[in-house]
Amino acid sequence: MTRKPTSSDHIVDEKFEPWERNGRMPLPVVWVAVALAIWGTGTLLTTSGGAPETAVEAAVQQDRPVDAPDSGAALFAANCATCHQPNGSGVRLAVPPLRGSEFPAQGPELVANVLLRGIDGPIRVDGHDYDGHMPSFSAAFGDAEIAELASYVAATFGDRDDGVDTATVADLRARAVGQGTWSGGEALAAAYPGLPPQPAFSSASVTPVSADVSALIFEGRDDVWACASCHGDLGQGVENTPRLSGLSADYIAKQLRDFQTGTRANEHMSFVAKGLTEADIAGLGAYYAGLSVPSTAAPILGGDLKRGETLALVGDWDLGVPACFSCHGPSGFGVAPNFPALSAQQAPYTASQLAAWAGGHRANSPLSLMDQISKGLSTDDRRAVADYLASLPAVPAGSTGAVAKEGDGHDL
Amino acid sequence: MNRYLPLALLAFGILAFATLMLVIAPGVQIARHSVPPQLEPYTEQQARGRAQYVGLGCVYCHSQQPRSPDQAPDGERGWGRPAVAADYVYDQPHQLGTMRTGPDLLNVGARLPSEAWQLTHLYQPRAIFGWSVMPAYPFLFEIKPAAEPGDTVVVLPEAFAPEAGVVVARQEALDLTAYLLSLDRTYPAPADALRDEGYATMESGS
Repeated sequence: MTRKPTSSDHIVDEKFEPWERNGRMPLPVVWVAVALAIWGTGTLLTTSGGAPETAVEAAVQQDRPVDAPDSGAALFAANCATCHQPNGSGVRLAVPPLRGSEFPAQGPELVANVLLRGIDGPIRVDGHDYDGHMPSFSAAFGDAEIAELASYVAATFGDRDDGVDTATVADLRARAVGQGTWSGGEALAAAYPGLPPQPAFSSASVTPVSADVSALIFEGRDDVWACASCHGDLGQGVENTPRLSGLSADYIAKQLRDFQTGTRANEHMSFVAKGLTEADIAGLGAYYAGLSVPSTAAPILGGDLKRGETLALVGDWDLGVPACFSCHGPSGFGVAPNFPALSAQQAPYTASQLAAWAGGHRANSPLSLMDQISKGLSTDDRRAVADYLASLPAVPAGSTGAVAKEGDGHDL
Repeated sequence: MNRYLPLALLAFGILAFATLMLVIAPGVQIARHSVPPQLEPYTEQQARGRAQYVGLGCVYCHSQQPRSPDQAPDGERGWGRPAVAADYVYDQPHQLGTMRTGPDLLNVGARLPSEAWQLTHLYQPRAIFGWSVMPAYPFLFEIKPAAEPGDTVVVLPEAFAPEAGVVVARQEALDLTAYLLSLDRTYPAPADALRDEGYATMESGS
């Protein structure tokens, strides 16, 4: 302990070391510290509840089948009504009606069978012939959901109240493995004798592509990379490389010509397109239009799928944005030649094209339609609608199929 | 200096605390996470290509860490989902990078899966993008009068092709391309993944 200097002590001790007793902390500082501690603990408790979940994951989970299936009516409204219409009237010449159709009247088992396998071939419904292209929903729905949906459709449009249970659907699913799609109404009529006569299925519509075009797609040329090397062996696309299979031949040809002339700007495609002849362009269009490939797209941008669905189905007139499907066809299957298919398109591609229209980097839309629409959409809206469209089943193949030799490249 | 011991103890305590919070805790946190089943270790060729990537200094202009949608439109650019810690399990040292003079490359193998495209672009980026500022890497290639069997010929437009002969990729270019094509982290992030949350958590209020 050092000696304390006193007033009587005139001689300063040379060993003296100055020191100070601990002063009391001012009370306001204590209050602030206590308040900060309470606030910090409170924040910690309110924000650390459970495992954090990103928007992307939440979006993916929304799309996943849940244990308790939605009711048949809700499933129908969300998945079937975009093509078959909410009242089941279908679309004239394009989508067969369910109301007045002979098929639901055959019972829920047939409906479940069609949902599981899809249809690819001509079909006669209520006296009219359709180019039947129904996607398979076996990957999208669980057995319980298929059972709910099939029972609902058969009851509503076929007056069949007998319903189908989950076990029967599971059995049908097991038997459908490896069967592929129903080849039109004829195959269905063979399995269900109660159906009226159906048009014959013919596989002769397949037109082979020329060797030149096949080589271009899978091997490339001296001055052109192979199409498949970026767009995939089946034209399925990835990330912001677009899916090509199922786009109309005219649309593909127009885009290739626009790349050639510079009307549509993209460095990769300008490089490729300048080496193409008119015959190449026609061959490529026909090839990709005829491909029927399951969707490889997924909602990966973290967009709000509900908002995307609203934009696609009804649009948002406050923003001056019409429904996507009003021009691009039911379920975004595309309307040739000017409106490309949107369903199952890679989400990053759709979102980046919307951004390109809004920013003026892409300006080859007929009548500048897409320029105006894209400008109305916010970044979140673009992401939402791109994700929703990526979650839809792939566009069915056009009626003019084409077959090319598959390359040795990557698988899907 | 008559309180040497408390001072030393305090200094040691601070260092120990920092080591615990900055080294040991993150180590424990990361070690609990398993390797994504879809992520393959690099093959020998890809590893050689990775050495080229490091040696050529690609990391100075290219990052390998896509960000969350709340921070940047990386998803729309096709650069992939936000990266998670497990994506880098085979990368030692990682090539995260801090500069984005060029695009992010963590998913370049998914985004640009064409070997022919990559070779053209490495030989002369300006052959594709007239405005590109990326250096050309002609020393990874050689010009031959004619391609021999087994040679990989580079696709080039006339303006960038040599006056005579063809441009053939050397082994280094093929290795580097193999590495670039192996950069594909598009599989879904594991549910328990450590990730860049961005501001998503705060905005969604969870």
